[in-house]
Amino acid sequence: MVALRIATLAVLATCLVSAAHAQDKVTFATNWKAEAAHGGFYQAVADGTYKKYGLDVTILPGGPQVNNRPLLPAGRIDFLMTGNLLHSFDNVKNGVPTIVVAAMFQKDPQALIAHPGQGYEKFEALRNAPVAFIAKDGQFTWWQWLKVTHGFRDEVLRPYNYNLGPFLANPKAIQQGYSIAEPIYVEDQGKFKPVVHLLADHGFSTYSTLIEARAETIKTKPDLVQRFVDASILGWVHYLYGSRQVANALMIRQNPEMTEAEIEASVALMKSQGIVDSGEALASGIGAMSADRIKDFYGQMVKAGLYKDGEVDLSKVATLQFINKRVGMDVKAQLGGK
Amino acid sequence: MSPRLLPALTLAALVLGWEALVRLAHIPAYTLPAPSLVAQTLWQNFPSLASSWWFTLKITFGALALACAGGVAIAAVFALSRRIELAFFPVAVLLQVTPIVAIAPLILIYVESTTAALLLCAWIVAFFPILSNTVLGLRAADPNLRDLFHLYGATPWQRLRLLLMPSALPYFLAGLKISGGLSLIGAVTAEMVAGAAGRETGLASRILEASFRTETPKMFAALALLVATGVLIFWTFNALSRRLLGPWHASERL
Amino acid sequence: MSAGAGHITLQQVEKRFAEGLLALRDVSLRVGEGEFVALLGPSGCGKSTVLRLVAGLDTPTHGTVDAPALRGGGTSTAFVFQEPTLMPWANLFDNVWLPLRLAGVSRAQADESVRTMLGSVGLGDFEQAYPAELSGGMKMRASIARALVTQPRVLLMDEPFAALDEITRSRLNADLLAWWTLRRLSVLFVTHSVYEAVFLSQRVLVMSPRPGRVMAEVVVDQPYPRDPAFRTSAAYVSACREVSDSLEAAMSGTRP
Repeated sequence: MVALRIATLAVLATCLVSAAHAQDKVTFATNWKAEAAHGGFYQAVADGTYKKYGLDVTILPGGPQVNNRPLLPAGRIDFLMTGNLLHSFDNVKNGVPTIVVAAMFQKDPQALIAHPGQGYEKFEALRNAPVAFIAKDGQFTWWQWLKVTHGFRDEVLRPYNYNLGPFLANPKAIQQGYSIAEPIYVEDQGKFKPVVHLLADHGFSTYSTLIEARAETIKTKPDLVQRFVDASILGWVHYLYGSRQVANALMIRQNPEMTEAEIEASVALMKSQGIVDSGEALASGIGAMSADRIKDFYGQMVKAGLYKDGEVDLSKVATLQFINKRVGMDVKAQLGGK
Repeated sequence: MSPRLLPALTLAALVLGWEALVRLAHIPAYTLPAPSLVAQTLWQNFPSLASSWWFTLKITFGALALACAGGVAIAAVFALSRRIELAFFPVAVLLQVTPIVAIAPLILIYVESTTAALLLCAWIVAFFPILSNTVLGLRAADPNLRDLFHLYGATPWQRLRLLLMPSALPYFLAGLKISGGLSLIGAVTAEMVAGAAGRETGLASRILEASFRTETPKMFAALALLVATGVLIFWTFNALSRRLLGPWHASERL
Repeated sequence: MSAGAGHITLQQVEKRFAEGLLALRDVSLRVGEGEFVALLGPSGCGKSTVLRLVAGLDTPTHGTVDAPALRGGGTSTAFVFQEPTLMPWANLFDNVWLPLRLAGVSRAQADESVRTMLGSVGLGDFEQAYPAELSGGMKMRASIARALVTQPRVLLMDEPFAALDEITRSRLNADLLAWWTLRRLSVLFVTHSVYEAVFLSQRVLVMSPRPGRVMAEVVVDQPYPRDPAFRTSAAYVSACREVSDSLEAAMSGTRP
């Protein structure tokens, strides 16, 4: 009798406990193949941080011909990584109901690179390059800003197909790249250190590696969103300041063309250039955002002719409710993060 | 029911069905815009879309003209010398079967002017049907007529003008009908690869731009103009063929 | 036989084709000025090859061919094929104008000749018509009109009426004789119909099977004009029998 009652209670208790720890299935799509710039997310998967927060996360990588952006409003994925705020402005302008919930990079690593010793040491010289290799995504967004604000011309533009060959072959050419990635590959393949000009240093003040979610998800499952953001932030803290081994191994499995050396070099650059943990993040934790900075960046883009004044309702672009909570800062201190 | 009315009514029905679907299922504009919204967007953006349309038309018809000139000239050479034909036909076939989407990026990088690169890409796609059909046509002259011309002492120029060219005309026109559509496809493919490059950009580039900026109605508006161009080309060459071959060729007498 | 500008002579002509086929072996024949001669034989005996040699479209491997076409006369020889061989993209006027045009005669200059010729073959109302709009018989008349428009000295005809029906054929036979009587040019008429050969010609040359040679000559001694009644006369019947016997003998390899 008693034994039966105890057994029933035990079963019930186990069910409740399981229910509490039931994993929410979550799909997170990125904007490229696995690379160091996604390190924090892979860390959270590999070291079980997402699991600890009750999330069963699948990372869906992007790639050269892959465009994951439509998947979010279509409901096929839960969270989306985007490269800059321009995508978010466009979404709001066209009535797409998605919102930015966190900004993992305080600086956009989008850069222009050139051969050394060709006169491109100063940023102003880049606009006179005879050939500029720019990929589709950039052609219709930040390249337009470069044209208006810095005098670049469409005549020199050539399609960039994520192949370094044409750039390496032509000393007078310039091309796009992430400041924390392409220079490493150029040194590997071309055996020289390229000149790197960060767009962020010349007025392109957007946040980067943003996490976007559907407005509906934020309204109906705010707890889920908060857990995903917090776990992702912790992932980044561990990735930057702790042991990266399991994360790197996972990334290399997903993208076999990547090497450990390239990843580590990239992380070093991320730190030295203050891509992730700088500015507002130093005070409020990784992922930090402020309405002022978003407004300021929008103003710059209006000046560059990409948008009209008042065309985008900035309140719909991002929500600050999930970040600025100093999440992970204690862990960072523990790891001796610098 | 008149033969012109049936396709027009079918098209109208499809458009109405599309409009109804979007309204009833509340499909958002950024996923599938209603035809009414597309029309409105087209109207609002017409000045800028029109100049892109003009550019695409220039590339398409420019490439087609070059394909005619090149195709006919090379066909004449091939028809004159079997040896040259045997030697160079494989080159022509190679160009035909290599997917333009794969070689367009290389051409765009290594050819100085973007416009020239686009013309070249569209030309590569368009010239082969004209070449192969015209070669066939030039060889298709009635052997008895050939004998007759020989009997009456025709000069090579007379033979070309009065016998070979008219004999080849139906074949050439068949090739032209095919190449008309292909030069549009070639131009669009090349533009898609080129993106924003070059001083002027065509409709395909505007489609890409709209797609990247999530401006789906504008994307559909540009697409509508492209479709209209394809239809225009189809009708034009059909009418041309009817005009030139109408009185006498089996293909138009049905 | 007279030796005028329109005569044709073949002497011991042999024709072997590149593939090794021996088409003609020791062919000798003459067509005099203004004569109507039929060349008769089974399929494949080389009759068409003889015509092509006379027209200068081919050359003999051995022997000699003497004909106006080979004596440098551009428009002296006309050829009528079994198919009408009209240019389908041109109307009848342009088709008949062609031989004159190739000789450098302008459309305006040729206008009268072409119209007259079309009229005389009964196609006066069909100047603007395209070949696709005409019947087989009409197309053949147009082909003959084209042949006669240059006022040739020699007319070569290769089974021109073989593809037509009985009625049209006999009508065209009568018309052909009428046109020939008017112009008295030399005609070499290839056929495999005994009845046609006898009705039309003054002499019938009978050829053997491949490799062809002239095995027999039958003279049809009947003055012109020849009317339909001729077909039922005793002279006609006996001539036909003679030609048929010669043909049979030629085909079995014996001389009659």
